[in-house]
Amino acid sequence: MDMIAGKIKLTSKTVDQSMNPLDVLERETRLSARDVTVHYGDKQALFGISIDIPDRAVTSFIGPSGCGKSTFLRCINRMNDTIEGARVGGSIKLDGDDVYDPNLDVVELRARVGMVFQKPNPFPKSIYENVAYGPKIHGLARSRTDLDEIVVSSLRKAGLFEEVKDRLNEPGTSLSGGQQQRLCIARAIAVGPQVILMDEPCSALDPIATAIIEELIDELRENYTIVIVTHSMQQAARVSQKTAFFHLGKLIEEGVTEDIFTNPEHKQTQDYIMGRIG
Amino acid sequence: MNALVIAALLLVLLTFSYQVGWSRSRKLAGNKSQHLHSRPIYHGVLAALFAVLPAMVIIGIWALFSEQVTNSFIVAQLPPETAQLSQMQLQAAIARVKAIASGYGVVGEPSATEVVAAQVFASYQQISFLAVLAAAAAIGAGGLFWAQRRIGPRLRARTEVEIFVRIALMACSAVAIVTTLGIVLSLLSDALRFFSFINPLDFFFGTTWNPRFQSAGTGSAGEYGLLPLLWGTVMISIIAMLVAVPIGLMSAIYLSQYADERVRNVVKPIIEVLAGIPTIVYGFFALVTVGPFFAAAGDAVGIDINATSALTAGVVMGIMIIPFISSLSDDIIAQVPRAMRDGSLGLGATQSETIRNVLLPAALPGIVGAVLLAVSRAIGETMIVVLAAGNSPVLRFNPAEPTSTVTVSIVNQLTGDADFTSPQSLVAFALGLTLFAMTLLLNVMALYIVRKFREQYE
Ligand SMILES: Nc1ncnc2c1ncn2[C@@H]1O[C@H](COP(=O)(O)OP(=O)(O)O)[C@@H](O)[C@H]1O
Ligand SMILES: [Mg+2]
Repeated sequence: MDMIAGKIKLTSKTVDQSMNPLDVLERETRLSARDVTVHYGDKQALFGISIDIPDRAVTSFIGPSGCGKSTFLRCINRMNDTIEGARVGGSIKLDGDDVYDPNLDVVELRARVGMVFQKPNPFPKSIYENVAYGPKIHGLARSRTDLDEIVVSSLRKAGLFEEVKDRLNEPGTSLSGGQQQRLCIARAIAVGPQVILMDEPCSALDPIATAIIEELIDELRENYTIVIVTHSMQQAARVSQKTAFFHLGKLIEEGVTEDIFTNPEHKQTQDYIMGRIG
Repeated sequence: MNALVIAALLLVLLTFSYQVGWSRSRKLAGNKSQHLHSRPIYHGVLAALFAVLPAMVIIGIWALFSEQVTNSFIVAQLPPETAQLSQMQLQAAIARVKAIASGYGVVGEPSATEVVAAQVFASYQQISFLAVLAAAAAIGAGGLFWAQRRIGPRLRARTEVEIFVRIALMACSAVAIVTTLGIVLSLLSDALRFFSFINPLDFFFGTTWNPRFQSAGTGSAGEYGLLPLLWGTVMISIIAMLVAVPIGLMSAIYLSQYADERVRNVVKPIIEVLAGIPTIVYGFFALVTVGPFFAAAGDAVGIDINATSALTAGVVMGIMIIPFISSLSDDIIAQVPRAMRDGSLGLGATQSETIRNVLLPAALPGIVGAVLLAVSRAIGETMIVVLAAGNSPVLRFNPAEPTSTVTVSIVNQLTGDADFTSPQSLVAFALGLTLFAMTLLLNVMALYIVRKFREQYE
């Protein structure tokens, strides 16, 4: 009980925005998308999305379900390549490199752009092996001690180490949902990405686990560019500095989170925030 | 003719009583003040069941016992001394009367008593058939009458029909269980008779198989060592698995992970065609093509390979099993959640790294289950080994030499003059029992493993 109370108190700290909202406008742009379109077979899912995503800040995508938030997120690390029949047009640049350049190595791209999924999806391996998976594949560790170090520091950054340090060899699936999701975050961090994409990372979690993850996102913001898809406007308001509103495959409005929520320009945005569409 | 009449009677009974039940309850429903518990369709079905089932019982009883009644009737028509005849002669006499009655000819001139008996019998047959028909119709009508009297707004026809459906389904699964049990029991009892001739230890641990060492009845029963056959079976199954598992598994991986829709739609059906080829065709394919090819290839590199050998049979059996492994593994790989794959790809793993490190380990228990099922097929496979393994039941460890298997020996022991009192034939049951125990064990293990695998993702 004490532990839970402590966590809730910690969380309340994150609610007050430690970053001056206007700072986000001065951040460098890490990712910039221009006229991105996506077709699934004959069906167009995205219509000319253009947006800049600032470095070391949290950008949230909101909008009614089916509006293309996940689709756009998957464009950034080219996960759409794995979907049969998906075609992407337009350009996305990561630090000036075109993500869809045929010479670009997808494996390298995905090492730079980590992803956390809607449902926690730890591999059926031990906690240790889950985190060590990426570093092993990319040859990031020279020795066993190197690897140990990466695993421990990733687990620490994901705020999970203290809870699992005595059971690193137990299966990742034995953890609670919230812990599993933090394990997935640790797994992504272990590869040393610059950008972390999160697709509704809390939608399968209870409120307490959600609060812990939100706090974690707020901490990670200092070192990573974070893009989060969420269906919860409160969550977008709590964790993000920049917000983009999608509707029916189009980007309707984007800007500083506070502005979007207090003073939306478009009627559709306003309707969505007031709960009239969704 | 008789069967048609019976079917027609039942059909008429069925439609008529359904109609009665349906329309009667409809009339009740029309009466707005009453609320029917069940919809008219259930009342109709219930009435039909009440009418048809008793009628079917009557006909069934007649079918079971008419033979005995008829026979004693015929005997009664024949001269009294017929009753003193032996069982076999009696049967023959009865058969003659029946043949005359139905208008077929008989050997020799029928005697006067026989002709009379046949005439009486023919009319008896007609009358008894009509009587049964009438009884069935009457019982059916009675059932219908009772059923339609029960129809009322409170009658829980839906519940009763549901009970009937459950009983009918249970009876069907009972048929499967009872037949299996029956087969096992008959195997068991004949195997026990075999073991009254031959010491089980000599059977299970003997290394020589020579059942026709001396012809039946001359005292010595021959030698019945199981091991040469068992080893042949095991060796051929291993070779088959060495062929089928890698090829089947890899084609499943290719089809489920790499191939695009168009390729899959063409290749999958072609692989399935392999599964549709009769095993006898594989057998002569092995005998005519593969065996000579292996022998020639062996000659070319200076290895002595027999055309009919464990190798030939094993390789061809492996080809036969490929579609089995590939379609099962395909299903199993498809069951590994996509999220697992995406998680690995999202970390920058290549497709083959993802398959090796995530997909296959996750699917492994299921694949092991599939392989065990395939092994139990290989063990039971007969036609290919009969033709291609060389039929040489000697304990040899070189796969390039001829061998024999449990199944082949069963075929050998039961074809020709099978005398089911000699160990030469009875051994087939002991062999069958051994085979059955092996495949049962494998299947149980496989199902257990596959089920565990399913639970993992629920
Ligand atoms: N794999 C797919 N194949 C075909 N259509 C898809 C696929 N994924 C998404 N879509 C379609 O694209 C649209 C956007 O979906 P998505 O990006 O998942 O929306 P969101 O994440 O905002 O709920 C939806 O209409 C959806 O039906
Ligand atoms: Mg989504």
